Amino acid sequence: MRAIRKILISLASISFCFLFTNLAPTANSEARDIMNMAREASKISGLEAISTLKIYDAKGRERIRQTSMASREFDNGATQKRIIRFLSPAEVKGTGMLIYDYKEKNDDMWIYMPALRKTRRIVSSEKSKSFMGSEFSNADMSAPNLDDFNYTLLGSESSDGCDCWMIESVPIDEDIMDEMGFDRKITWIGKKDYVLRKAEYYNEDDELFKEMKAGKVQAIDPSGKKHMAMYMEMVNKENGRRSIMTMDKIQYNPDVKQEYFTLSYLEKI
Amino acid sequence: MRTGSFLVRYRWWIVAASLLVSGFFGLQIFRAEINPDMESYVYEKMPSRLNTNLIEEIFGGDEMVIILFESEDILQKETLTRIKEVNKQLKDLDGIDETLSLFDAKNIKGEDGAMVVDACIRRIPKTKDKRESIREEIKQNSLVYEVLVSADFTLCSIIATLEPEALDDDIVIAIEELLEANPGPEKTYIGGLPYIKANVAMEMAREFKLLMGIGLGIMLIMLYLFFREIRGVVLPFIVVIMSILFSMGLMPLVGWQMSIITLLLPIMLIAIANDYGIHMMAKYQEYNTLGNGASITSMAKGIYTSLRSPILFTGITTIAGLLCLLSHKMLPAKQVGVVAAAGIGFALLLSLVFIPAALSIIGKSKPVGTDNPIKKRWIDRILLYFGTMVAAHPRRIIISSVMVALISGLGIFFLKVDTNLENFFPEKHPVRISSEIINETFGGSQNISILVEGDILDPLVMQKIDLYERELKQNEAVGNVMSIAGVIREISMAINDEGDPYYNRIPDSRNAIAQYMELYLMSGDPDDLERMVDFDFQRAQIMVRINDGSNTALKGVLADIGELAGNDEHSTRIGGYGLIAADLADLVVRGQVMSLLIALIVVFLLLSLLFRSVSAGIIGSIPLALAMIILFGWMGYLGIRLDIATALLSSIMIGVGVDYTIHFLWRYKSERGNGLEPVRSIMKTLTTTGRGISFNAFSVILGFSALPFSVFSPIRYFGFLVMVSIFTCLIGALVIIPALVLIFKPGFLEPDKPKPARINWQHRTAWLRGRKAIPSN
Repeated sequence: MRAIRKILISLASISFCFLFTNLAPTANSEARDIMNMAREASKISGLEAISTLKIYDAKGRERIRQTSMASREFDNGATQKRIIRFLSPAEVKGTGMLIYDYKEKNDDMWIYMPALRKTRRIVSSEKSKSFMGSEFSNADMSAPNLDDFNYTLLGSESSDGCDCWMIESVPIDEDIMDEMGFDRKITWIGKKDYVLRKAEYYNEDDELFKEMKAGKVQAIDPSGKKHMAMYMEMVNKENGRRSIMTMDKIQYNPDVKQEYFTLSYLEKI
Repeated sequence: MRTGSFLVRYRWWIVAASLLVSGFFGLQIFRAEINPDMESYVYEKMPSRLNTNLIEEIFGGDEMVIILFESEDILQKETLTRIKEVNKQLKDLDGIDETLSLFDAKNIKGEDGAMVVDACIRRIPKTKDKRESIREEIKQNSLVYEVLVSADFTLCSIIATLEPEALDDDIVIAIEELLEANPGPEKTYIGGLPYIKANVAMEMAREFKLLMGIGLGIMLIMLYLFFREIRGVVLPFIVVIMSILFSMGLMPLVGWQMSIITLLLPIMLIAIANDYGIHMMAKYQEYNTLGNGASITSMAKGIYTSLRSPILFTGITTIAGLLCLLSHKMLPAKQVGVVAAAGIGFALLLSLVFIPAALSIIGKSKPVGTDNPIKKRWIDRILLYFGTMVAAHPRRIIISSVMVALISGLGIFFLKVDTNLENFFPEKHPVRISSEIINETFGGSQNISILVEGDILDPLVMQKIDLYERELKQNEAVGNVMSIAGVIREISMAINDEGDPYYNRIPDSRNAIAQYMELYLMSGDPDDLERMVDFDFQRAQIMVRINDGSNTALKGVLADIGELAGNDEHSTRIGGYGLIAADLADLVVRGQVMSLLIALIVVFLLLSLLFRSVSAGIIGSIPLALAMIILFGWMGYLGIRLDIATALLSSIMIGVGVDYTIHFLWRYKSERGNGLEPVRSIMKTLTTTGRGISFNAFSVILGFSALPFSVFSPIRYFGFLVMVSIFTCLIGALVIIPALVLIFKPGFLEPDKPKPARINWQHRTAWLRGRKAIPSN
């Protein structure tokens, strides 16, 4: 009996050792897998929505932008095209943006200004730049390139009542850090729906400078597989600003008209 | 009290109390704070200061440290690498809000039909082609070219904006260390207001020691030459030291901060306050001759009783003169006036009480021969020459003095005001060097801000802002103007093609402006606009950088702004350091005029009261008025500007200068009373009291002679001017007053109408005549 027990113990410890040595790589590839799942989950073949963006400065003053939006995937998901049009305030009503979000290269972006009847392409290489003057960055608004980061699974934690994976993303080099505008990011990804619930952004000094929270996650497609947060809030701890994005109306539609995503449609009011 | 016997009875108490009081005040000096900020010179309630604070509250602080790099070509790899590294480290320094360098500044450009908003330099160019294309881009970028980079690309700057609570000294030291830690072949300079202020504070701490050291050294030598015995040196010296401790300690005690002109305080005390001690010791030596067997206690009492009234009287005129500074609008001038008056009062008290008490403790010394026959001879010869000249041609003297004053007076029209902190430093000082580079190449280190309120997106308002920007750029003193309208123009050039009606102009529709802004917010960084327009587009700031800090230039810019503002309801407030400096200049001029007028009135009243005659007031005021006209006239001719320190001149002139007139008139009256003819009385007065006055004037002039060693130009000029003005007052008393007396023969000096003798003239004038008013026992 004793011998059997000894063997069992040693077997257990050997397997434990195996488990332990394998833990790190497993966790990392697992983290990457989760992020990939999240990325896939955020891809929606077609969508129409009306949303409100509220931007608050440190003194609590408010700037509100209401927009209508349509998006659709092209080239088997390699390219996502989005068109955004301002509904209010009155002075920017009709201003439109057309964005081609490529997997492999920098985005293309056009803006149409009805007051000048003019379309201009905007080139901005920095993903860290503000999205429509809010605390959200352009990077927050598009799916990240998986290869730009190293991932670590930090564990599980619940956020907003939802069981989440906690994953740390670190840009692979300084150029990407500069482009993204952070040195380290921790994201909370819902275990069931792979929807991002929370994100913390850390700067060079490893100080938390931006924090995002997402909520009101809903299934948006008939099959109930695709989920989206209807509420997103970004708080900038450095300048005290805060931005809130809410989806007021959302319509899953894989067959959004292709002509929506053209320059000629952008210029049509 | 009259006999002075309390001096002997309580001598130990007196000495101990004097030392204790001075010691207590001396300890307060450790709590003293130096405030180099010109802002504090201006009233808190002044509109310029209120507006500046308001604008800072909306748009953040405007205090910038500017770091300059100089090399053959700043776009070369090594230089850019260093700038990038320094910039990165600067951002992490405590107290720095943000930095603007080539790596942060935005480049808005149209490229292949696209608008690109990008950092001016994103990557350090490694090839020549890339470098040259960046150079071309910079040349097209009005937000960067000649703002961050000089036209010839040999100079480049990083502008660091400070957090409002940052301490100038700490930041400057941290930046200097940072530059040392990142060495390179490029020459570096630091500039900007916080740097200038930190230097003022640093130099001031050094100056207090240097100037006081020189001043006290000169005083020691002078005292030794006068008295040739240790107590003659030590006792007046201790009195001066104690009065310096007292007045300097008084400042922190009442919560006042030291400013640049506080540097004058110890020197003023050295020059003026030692006089009373000198008189006391001279009297002691006069008694302490070989044949006099009087005891030290009776001598001490004698010195006190004979000098109490004259010292009190001259002291009161000096204190009254200094208190005239209360009429000045500049806070530090008022404060120095009060503290100096207190110091003089304390010195006067100590001279009268402490010196005799101390003498009675240490006992008699070996008599010293006081009269120096050689000195006596040449000074007497000059004084006699004055006398004969005055007696022979009194009218000619008056006419020619008036002529000199009139011609000199024309110079007043050339008089300029200078409140520019940069000019306080000598030419080769690092502050001056960096300031010059910044003024010549980077738009200037001073600024005026215009606050525009209203619907900023309204084309009428935006075009008005644009008009300000374009018009003000025409002014030569304006180095650079930044406003939201400039950004709108940049955007209009980036998204419209040349020849397009929208190219390089402010659109006519509100929607178009709003859409430009939206476009910028989408492609740039919302923080970029924070200094130019507030969050809800209700208030905008036009930042005008001035490259010429002179008051004429500032006034010109302000006049232009005033013209543009006209009855514009939108441009509501003007603020900024440049405006505060201009306001300060106004205060300097108004304060100068006020303190001059008050000084003349005080002199007139003092003399009228003392001699109970209005004509005494008039006659006594004339030489002082002439001296002032000549002084300010020559300042105009020589290009010496009115500044924060010259404010103190007129008070010192009355405080010290009028004493000479009073002494002269007293003695003359007394000689007339003794039955001497007017001309003979003049001669007698000149050779007796005249000598005393001359010695006194020269000792004051010597006392101030430490000031030209100062690093600050206002202090240096003040030193020079105060010496000239004391000298003119002396000439006034020795030449003009006698001439006037001979011409007008005023009744108040004539013996035939004796006044009710409340003042004991014999006693009063005894100390000047050197008469022994004490019986030997």
